[in-house]
Amino acid sequence: MIAIEQLRYVRLGTPDLAAATDFAQRILGLQIVDKTPDQVFFRSDYRDHTLVYARADKPSCAVALEVRDLETLDAAEKALAAAGYAATRGTAEAAERRKVKHFLSFADRSGNVFELVVRPLQSGWRYFPARDAGILGLEDIALRSTANGAEEALWTKVFNGRVSDWVGEAAYIRFDDAHHRLAFHPSSRGGPLAIEYAVEDVDLLMQNSYFLRAMQVRIVDGPGRRPSSNQLFLTFAGPDGVLFSYVAEGAKIADEEKHRPRQFAKNRRSFCAWGSDCEIPELQG
Amino acid sequence: MIRLQDVSYVRLGTADLEGSTRFATEYLGLEVSERSKDGIYFKSDEREHTLFYFEGDPRDHVAAFEVGSREDLEDAARELEALGHAVHGGTAAEAESRKVKDFIAFNDPSGNRIELVWRPAYSGQRYHGLRDAGITGFSHIGLCSTNPARDELFWTRVCNARVSDRIGEAPLLRIDEVHHTIALFPSPTKGIQHINHQVESGDDVMRSFNFLNERQVRMVFGPGRHPTSSARFLYFEGPDGMVFEYSSGVKSIADELLYREHQYPFDPKGFCKWGAKPNIPEFQK
Repeated sequence: MIAIEQLRYVRLGTPDLAAATDFAQRILGLQIVDKTPDQVFFRSDYRDHTLVYARADKPSCAVALEVRDLETLDAAEKALAAAGYAATRGTAEAAERRKVKHFLSFADRSGNVFELVVRPLQSGWRYFPARDAGILGLEDIALRSTANGAEEALWTKVFNGRVSDWVGEAAYIRFDDAHHRLAFHPSSRGGPLAIEYAVEDVDLLMQNSYFLRAMQVRIVDGPGRRPSSNQLFLTFAGPDGVLFSYVAEGAKIADEEKHRPRQFAKNRRSFCAWGSDCEIPELQG
Repeated sequence: MIRLQDVSYVRLGTADLEGSTRFATEYLGLEVSERSKDGIYFKSDEREHTLFYFEGDPRDHVAAFEVGSREDLEDAARELEALGHAVHGGTAAEAESRKVKDFIAFNDPSGNRIELVWRPAYSGQRYHGLRDAGITGFSHIGLCSTNPARDELFWTRVCNARVSDRIGEAPLLRIDEVHHTIALFPSPTKGIQHINHQVESGDDVMRSFNFLNERQVRMVFGPGRHPTSSARFLYFEGPDGMVFEYSSGVKSIADELLYREHQYPFDPKGFCKWGAKPNIPEFQK
């Protein structure tokens, strides 16, 4: 079983780099740490960056997860091949563009692209954004799935993920003591559902909610509370149809032995305990 | 000094008793404790009633406070009369209608009808609302004041209230360890300005926000968080334009000697630290 160290970054391709950069900095509240003609890197915590916007013809998304070393990466490549996934080794140049030593990329059965990275850059300088959004860091990624459980099998059998809870067939998968780092929601298509950043507390979540409204950002879900992870959430529309969320107060799963995944009913109340409005079809239940 | 022990109930006239009852039960979440020929009693906590609606002028408001003993009641009557307030001694029938042993009534300097009650009835049966609003009890009132500085002196010198904080000229007054039980807001006329019920948690505030919004109840402020009392709040409009508030997490003032009141600005930031803007005349310049 391949151990995932942590969630590292999300790489989004965008046809309009200037608009995406403006959104990530001014609206979302990330800090620009590096800018090249075709890539902009954003910091949210002590990771060098957790979001990259890259110039592209059409929107794309890759989620990067860290593995410990080159040996683990080699083992992952074999394990993926054995499970029927074609993984591609990144070239040295591509690795440099990602500020990692080595990586390989592969797509899951729903077409979600992942990168396994070795030795991604860390920062000695703390995150210092232009706007006080109260961001603590990249928390988790929600993805769409067409593959009827194949993703759950991939991340729990080939990798060391554990299911924390299910809502209907949607699976919340953890790799550390956070309730989940990846969530897969059944859908008619693949791709990112929401990229979620943790904020300090409920005050920051609600302050951001009023800020987004004042900036006329389209809020598509929440503010609400997830009965599964106990996270407070607020989801809003970003560039290229990608959604972003602020989350706070999520449950920690400290005792691996004692936690048993719970099955929640497939209805809206399992996604929000506050009864908030939601425009996202996958989260209607 | 008149020693107020607690706020007991409010009595409100209404042109539409059935409509007001429907609001109080189905929307606000109170429980009808008794229907009499005079009006309808509602309970929100362990007390027999904390709200009374009667057929009458919607501008007719009464707020009642509990005193500790019959001597306190008699002393209060003497003190008020010495200051020139006309004091009405409650008749036995009036006391029975208020579910108290004895009471006196007078007008505060702004003309608000105030009742001081002795031995208000407690209930053997716990409160069980018509909907799960999470109400833990009737907690405080806002009073309209035609001269907040004068009225502050009345409540703090003639009565035992202490200033916990001020928003502009509006003092928030405590009579026990709860941050405020009476708040005075500048207004051209007298009247009860808002009626507060505490709810169990911030989740309850947000659940009610969505519940009431869906039912097209007019939201006038929030959801938000008061920088003064640190309570999370929601203000909405009930029958006859009366403003009702839910809040949760109000600050407790344990140390009377060390506590110092603060001055907050009379603008949206003084009322909310999340960025909500009040749509309540008494909270606006």
